[in-house]
Amino acid sequence: MAAVEIAGYKGRTFIAADAVRWGAVFGFAALCFIAGDKHPWLAAYPDSWVVPVADWVNHGMDWFVERFRDGFKMLSALLGMPMHLLQRLLQWLPWPAVLGVFAIVSHRAGGWRLAAFTTGALLYTLLVGYWSEAMNTLALVGVSVPLSVALGFGLGLMGFRWPRFERPLQGMLDLMQTVPAFAYLIPILLLFGFGPVVGLVASIIYAAPPMVKNTMLGLRSVPEELVESGLMSGCSKRQLFWNVEFPAALRQIMVGVNQTTMAALSMVIIAAIIGGFNDIGWEVLMTMRKAQFGQSLLSGLVIVLLAMILDRISWGLAFQDSGPSSRSRRRRYGYPAAALAAVLLSLGIVALIPEIRTAPETWITSPADLLNDWVNFVLREYAAVIEGIKNAVLFYGMMPFRIGLSQSITPFTWGIEMSAEVVAVYLALVGAAAVWCYRRFGWRGIVPVAIFGAVLFYGTTGIPWPAFMAVIALLAFEAGGLSVMALALASMAFILITGLWNEAMLSVYLSGLAVLICCVVGGALGIWAAHSDRVSSILRPINDALQTMPQFALLIPVLMFFQVGELTALIAILIYAIVPAIRYTEHGLRTVPSHVVEAARQVGCTRRQMLWEVKLPLAMPVIMLGLNQTIMYALAMLVIAALVGTRDLGQAIYIALGKADAGMGFVAGLSVALVAIVADRIIQAWSRKRRAALGLAAS
Amino acid sequence: MSSLKTLYSHAAGIAVAFGLGASLSGSAQAADLGAVDEPIRLAMVEWTGARITTEIAGNVLERMGYEVEYVTAGNYPQFTALADGSLHATLEVWTNNAGELYPKLKEAGKIVDIGPLGLETREGWMYPVHMKSICPGLPDWKALKDCANQLATAETFPNGRILSYPADWGTRSVDMIKGLDIPFEALPAGSEGALVAELKAAVQTEKPLVMMFWAPHWVLAEVDVEWVDLPKYEPACTEDPSWGPNPNAVNDCGVSPPLVNKAAWTGFEKKWPAAWEFLKNFQMDAKEQEKLMLRIDQQGEDLEAATTAWVEENKAVWEPWVKAAM
Repeated sequence: MAAVEIAGYKGRTFIAADAVRWGAVFGFAALCFIAGDKHPWLAAYPDSWVVPVADWVNHGMDWFVERFRDGFKMLSALLGMPMHLLQRLLQWLPWPAVLGVFAIVSHRAGGWRLAAFTTGALLYTLLVGYWSEAMNTLALVGVSVPLSVALGFGLGLMGFRWPRFERPLQGMLDLMQTVPAFAYLIPILLLFGFGPVVGLVASIIYAAPPMVKNTMLGLRSVPEELVESGLMSGCSKRQLFWNVEFPAALRQIMVGVNQTTMAALSMVIIAAIIGGFNDIGWEVLMTMRKAQFGQSLLSGLVIVLLAMILDRISWGLAFQDSGPSSRSRRRRYGYPAAALAAVLLSLGIVALIPEIRTAPETWITSPADLLNDWVNFVLREYAAVIEGIKNAVLFYGMMPFRIGLSQSITPFTWGIEMSAEVVAVYLALVGAAAVWCYRRFGWRGIVPVAIFGAVLFYGTTGIPWPAFMAVIALLAFEAGGLSVMALALASMAFILITGLWNEAMLSVYLSGLAVLICCVVGGALGIWAAHSDRVSSILRPINDALQTMPQFALLIPVLMFFQVGELTALIAILIYAIVPAIRYTEHGLRTVPSHVVEAARQVGCTRRQMLWEVKLPLAMPVIMLGLNQTIMYALAMLVIAALVGTRDLGQAIYIALGKADAGMGFVAGLSVALVAIVADRIIQAWSRKRRAALGLAAS
Repeated sequence: MSSLKTLYSHAAGIAVAFGLGASLSGSAQAADLGAVDEPIRLAMVEWTGARITTEIAGNVLERMGYEVEYVTAGNYPQFTALADGSLHATLEVWTNNAGELYPKLKEAGKIVDIGPLGLETREGWMYPVHMKSICPGLPDWKALKDCANQLATAETFPNGRILSYPADWGTRSVDMIKGLDIPFEALPAGSEGALVAELKAAVQTEKPLVMMFWAPHWVLAEVDVEWVDLPKYEPACTEDPSWGPNPNAVNDCGVSPPLVNKAAWTGFEKKWPAAWEFLKNFQMDAKEQEKLMLRIDQQGEDLEAATTAWVEENKAVWEPWVKAAM
């Protein structure tokens, strides 16, 4: 609030120009609404104007595949080789050997606690009967993670060394992370041929970006003095890098490794959709197809546990405190020797008792069935309550946003007819809000009220496209100037002329609503966790699980409770996108410098003031990064949400997949990415501006 | 052109079978086993019915002396694999839900059909039995007209809701609603899992539900359903508006039972002539498949064990197919 006043004061001479711009845009929008009845092309972009970009892409794709297929097939064989070798090895080793080696490595990385965790997790995998599938998954991840890390590190280094390379790199990374993998599965399949290599390539594309970003960030934040002292002591360029810069940046780089590992494991399901590899993702896929909640949760848990093991081990190995020399000798020779002994011992045991070699196929069905029964129980007992919740959320929350109050107020939903009186009441309410905001914030306060008022009345899908484009363009301009506006306009134009406007609007509606809820609920949970260690320690494993658990597994009960439809889709997005909102809010609040907090306390801040006036503003940069990630996650989930029945861009991608229409998939996938990137750029620019206004250093 | 090609390759196959078979076993119709030392890779797709079909065929192929490898494969991606020879055959292709890769590759001559599987199928609108008290006129489709209100939801009001196939499987329900002129809206389910989850939930809560579905399907062994009686499909229904109950529209009828085919890599016949002949003869009975589905999905029996036992017990069914091939 203070910021707005300051900005308003400073920009007094520009107020007129600003106000005129908003006035013009609103006038134009109003004109579009009025003229929409007479000129239907304003309300809906005509099909006959659609530019067949998808067809062009398909032609280009055919040409490319025809020409380069052999090269890619060779590459495919090359990539497949280490994976198949690793698969053979892991399958050949009896399970006690693998378990032993993992336990020993875990002990080396994190002591007895980690060793116990790893052993427990692997025993679980064994007991639920997914050992051999889990080994196949490990073979896939065991190749995709090192490749992603190497590729990401190389690209990050290039971005660090040659700043000119950075901008195009950043754009590419954003695309790699936001274009849903389903959109490029068909091209990869055609180029690389059927098999697990397709999943490998897809997971490298998706998992490499965090490595690149963290490598650049880490290397860039190496203190100047450190580099200088290295130069003074006569380091060569190579020495400087490996002995000074790299160790100093290692912590941040390891964050990248961690994120890459998680991302690679979340792609296991994608790899399974292609097939050719009987891995854990395939098992999950089958249970999902049967809508067996318990079973899919138990098998999905194997993926979660594998992710946790790999994550904790890589983290531990990177940040060992180097102990005294006697211990380090044990480390150097003792661990490999123990690992070797474990392998030999298990091979010996297997030679004596061959039955042990084959992992047991037993399947613990009792916990799975118990979970299923529990879901059924809730479903039967609370059917009326669930129905009530569903209808309330749909009638009063979601439908107004989608089709607007103008269409969602009916006797069936709200119990009243949409009469002239109701419109008058609504207009009066909006008017009152506008007046209040004007008094409080000046004319700028009217802008959000007008936008919200129109969206709520006509719905996201009921806004004429020229009006929507004009408002977004001006928002982009206000936030980040001409360059952001140009990006926003170009992106919207692409979506429009490729004929995906309606789908994109549905996506904006669904993910926008989800992001809004994530900010409120996730933000609140993050604040709570930042102030209570107990809450924090409860939330952390839940967050880990939400991120790596195959999402559809969690959706089965949601589907059973709320049926196919947009509410289920919204919940699907929420449970995934809320994680960064929680994590970054907590992290941001916890890293507020303690001396600032102390100073504020001495000045006599109340708890409330401390949070709103001191901690939250200072944590804003981190929270904004969380918002960025929340948006990215929400849009990434559109594809999964399509599995519970949506009609947005995510569904368009599935339809393209079914038709093997690479062009259509590309266009729809790129549209998702563009929505994400535009939203991100506008919000980032706006937050930079605000931070500057608050006098916080831009970081 | 493609059919010419198949015809030609058939002729060649029979010629080969004739020459070599005659010298080996003396039987006029017999085919050579071919490359027994190289494994035949069969596509193992994700639904239980197809897995049963594949395991049974594979089991018999092994008894014939072949080496068989089962490779997991997605329903759409498997066809690229068949085209480049990294998979050799797939035994349960539902032509109503095979994506567009299958017809495209077939037309381009990159995969070949081995013929119908003989699985009696059914597709159409169905409902859990408790619907009868909600909409008493069922199973007659005309009853739906008066039940739109009971089936209406927030998203479809004032129309009734029919849960339809995922959007990427086509738009048959939408066409039928239009053709029959009933006040309904088809809501795409998004995935098979979503269809099944909703069916299970509707049975638990006795909520109203009408949905597009197909048989044989394992879930039909678990829940009691009935099918909506729709005007029987005829080709004229989709071409001639005057056909059927609605004189002004096409598609005013049910769905033709989907065809289920077997498909293979183009080099299959040459490489394993006897296996090819066997797969051509190989048929799957829907009742038998359903029985096995029940045992595997509901009673938790192991897929391999159950199918092996079936092959053991049903020699009379498959031995003639093998005899005709070898």
